Amino acid sequence: MNFLSPWAFAFAATIPLVVVFYLLKRRRVVKLVSSTLLWQKFLAESQASAPFQKLRRNWLLLLQILMLILAVLALSRPYFAAKSPNSDLRVLILDASASMRSTDEKPSRFEKARKEALTWVDSLRDGDQMVVLQVSGNTEVKQSATGEKSALRRAILSCQAADAPTRPAPAFKMAESLIRDRSKESNPEIHFFSDGAFADLAGFDNSSLPVIYHKVGVSSENLGITALDVKANPENASQRAIYASVSSFSTNTLQTDLELRLDGTLLETRPVTMKPGEISRQIFLATQTNDGIFSVHSTLEDELAADNDSSIVSLLPHPEKVLLVTRGNRFLERAIRSVPNVQLAIADSLNDEAPEFDFVVLDDVIPTVWPKGNILAFRVANTNWFEKITEIESPAIVDWRATHPLMHYVGFDTVQVAKSLQVKTPSWGVSLVESPQATLMAAGELGHQRIVWVGFDTLESTWPYRVSYPIFLANVADWLNPASERNNQLLVHAGDPFRFRSPPGVTNGTITLPDGKKRELTVDPKAGEVVFGDTLKQGVYHLSIGSNEIPFCVNLLDSSESNIKPHEELQFGKFVKVEATTLHRTNFELWRHIAAAGLGVLMLEWWYYHKRTA
Amino acid sequence: MTAPLLPPELLRRLEQFQLLSARRAKSSARGERRSRARGQSVEFADHRNYTPGDDFRYLDWNLFGRLEKLFLKLYEEERELPVRIFLDASESMAFGEPRKFDFARQIAAAIGYVALCGFDRVGVITFPQIAEDTAVLGALRAVRGRKSALNYFKNITALHCGGSADLNESLRRGALEARQAGVAVVISDFLDPAGYEPGLAALVARGFQVNALQILAPEELSPSAYGDLRLIDAESGNVQEVTFGKYRQAAYQQMVQNFCQRLREYSQARGISFFMAASNTSLEQLLLRQLRQAEVWG
Repeated sequence: MNFLSPWAFAFAATIPLVVVFYLLKRRRVVKLVSSTLLWQKFLAESQASAPFQKLRRNWLLLLQILMLILAVLALSRPYFAAKSPNSDLRVLILDASASMRSTDEKPSRFEKARKEALTWVDSLRDGDQMVVLQVSGNTEVKQSATGEKSALRRAILSCQAADAPTRPAPAFKMAESLIRDRSKESNPEIHFFSDGAFADLAGFDNSSLPVIYHKVGVSSENLGITALDVKANPENASQRAIYASVSSFSTNTLQTDLELRLDGTLLETRPVTMKPGEISRQIFLATQTNDGIFSVHSTLEDELAADNDSSIVSLLPHPEKVLLVTRGNRFLERAIRSVPNVQLAIADSLNDEAPEFDFVVLDDVIPTVWPKGNILAFRVANTNWFEKITEIESPAIVDWRATHPLMHYVGFDTVQVAKSLQVKTPSWGVSLVESPQATLMAAGELGHQRIVWVGFDTLESTWPYRVSYPIFLANVADWLNPASERNNQLLVHAGDPFRFRSPPGVTNGTITLPDGKKRELTVDPKAGEVVFGDTLKQGVYHLSIGSNEIPFCVNLLDSSESNIKPHEELQFGKFVKVEATTLHRTNFELWRHIAAAGLGVLMLEWWYYHKRTA
Repeated sequence: MTAPLLPPELLRRLEQFQLLSARRAKSSARGERRSRARGQSVEFADHRNYTPGDDFRYLDWNLFGRLEKLFLKLYEEERELPVRIFLDASESMAFGEPRKFDFARQIAAAIGYVALCGFDRVGVITFPQIAEDTAVLGALRAVRGRKSALNYFKNITALHCGGSADLNESLRRGALEARQAGVAVVISDFLDPAGYEPGLAALVARGFQVNALQILAPEELSPSAYGDLRLIDAESGNVQEVTFGKYRQAAYQQMVQNFCQRLREYSQARGISFFMAASNTSLEQLLLRQLRQAEVWG
């Protein structure tokens, strides 16, 4: 047994004081009696019959000394040293994501993690420091490095679990920077309290972080909605199709009812039976006459409630206005016209910003005035888009980014290009199609403008003859459509910031949270955008800005987070793994137990004193 | 007007009693107690030869007819029985509710009244003897005859208590001063640090038939004062510090029982009638039942 505060033994010097106080005459009640003879006999008899007469006489004194010894012992903070070595700096990272709200641990994983974290605070020695970080959708420093336990406890108690997924990478990077300058002797540690329900951590391959992973959670009885989207019904344009993906992470077969609501009105209830690990994709069809909010609710009471509800704003589609600026391209014209719900206008030059069009297609025509809206540009580029543009003959297409929304069902296997412009991938976008030398197609967002750039003239390629060509243009029409962009903006993943282009001249707005609380927002007119970051609770939010009332939905929709099975190890990059530790705390402190015993002795002394004088 | 020491009804009932004594009266004064002396009474005792000068009235003529010798018939002389009441009038007797001294005076009055009704001589000796009671004690030194009962009561009532007493010395002196032994009644709390044995032994040795009555206050039998106490002895001024609580009550009462039991055993070993009473005991109960059962009177 060791002592965290051995100087407290100096208080033992007060023990003689108790004896001195005891020796001082007690104030007694004076009473005149007929004779003290009987009392003398009584005292003589009672003392003679007591087994420890000397001790009995000083019983109170012994209790008081015992209590004082216990108090001194508690102040000296004895502890049993455990397996973990001492550390001068510990970085506590508390996972406050949605999965930590699972109730397989009572009352929740998060509360258990918090309790365990508090025990580590208690075990802090004098001179040790600790940092408290909370991680969910973002990383929050709850307490910078300090040895003050009360501040650390306050910081841990102030942590709140959110509905957001875990993004631990920034937290580990921050922890890494905190311990980087510490010497090896100080033995810094990173304590991560989590269930490991998140995607693997990339970018930590070479950093041998001293991570101690405290696994929380025992089971994985969960069924969650992991994807939600709403589109026009391809077979009946008057209907809306709601796509919901439901995943089971349980080891048992689960049954649930999926309820579809439009603005709170129940439209359909669909029973779903799911085998262990099954993913069920459900499509609901509904008639919608006005803009509204579709909500899907799973009635099964599983261990994680955060993924049982999802909502999505559904705006009625409007015809998409497209301006094609070309010197003549029948393939392109026909392909755009084949896209549903598109109103196409064709021009051979562009002299204004074309504000009335949703997007402009520039087919190898340099406009006099560049449009302000979204652009699909073939073999033409604004000067500020790329650093350097060169031309290449017969470039070989070696790769394309199939995961990008523009490239869904688009392949370049049999496409040949005669000549093309080539660029270095710009910072504002990503490369879609690549040759061995450079980028042939790029897409991204510059300012508030979405740009799809194609480096070659489609008429100088075999692409128009391929089926991927009209599919690509359909994807472009969807991606560049401001309405679909707006739809995407109105569906926010918990923890992600909500962004909305603010009307000109507006300087402030109000956001109403799902619980009814209101937040005032200040809008920078120069930025022209509302950014709201406090999206840790899922539900329907309402933005009031100017004369507009814009609802947006915050959902978890994260299969990594819904998969609440606690991970036995954390994967850092490809090669590094950290197994869950069984350590609970470095030191098992005894002072609480000793203080409780001292309190017991105090109560015993109080009882004994009153018993003998009552 | 103060209340009478004993109620008239009780007095009437007490008149039926007579102090019992195993010993023959040795007093020189005539009374109603059988004695070893020969004299005039109706109780035949013995014969003796006639000597000239004897009263012819006591000759046994029947015997002369048979034996033709003159014998004189002797009769037992009835003498009085001296009853000495030793009354503890120390400061310690002033305690209790009711006061032990008041209770003791009532008992002394009752015993004295029974003795007076039996034509016995009653003497009351208090210890310590308070100066202001000198005259009263003089009157109580020897009281005889039922007609003296009123004065007897009056004098008993006039007695005071106070000061420190020496029980042994008082009893020893009382034994020595008595011209004839008789019945001795010691009424005290027997709470003398020096003990009671020498005093009682002196009375027994002098030939007294001793009755010991221990009077204790209810507070002494079962104290109700709890806590850290500084007790001051009313007689000696001694200080005793004690911490007392309910949980020690039983031990205290056991100690009192032991104390009384030792006194009882001591008394029984020497033929002393002993009984103890709390000062709040019913007087009728004590006098008419307990003392009768103890054969103090009958």
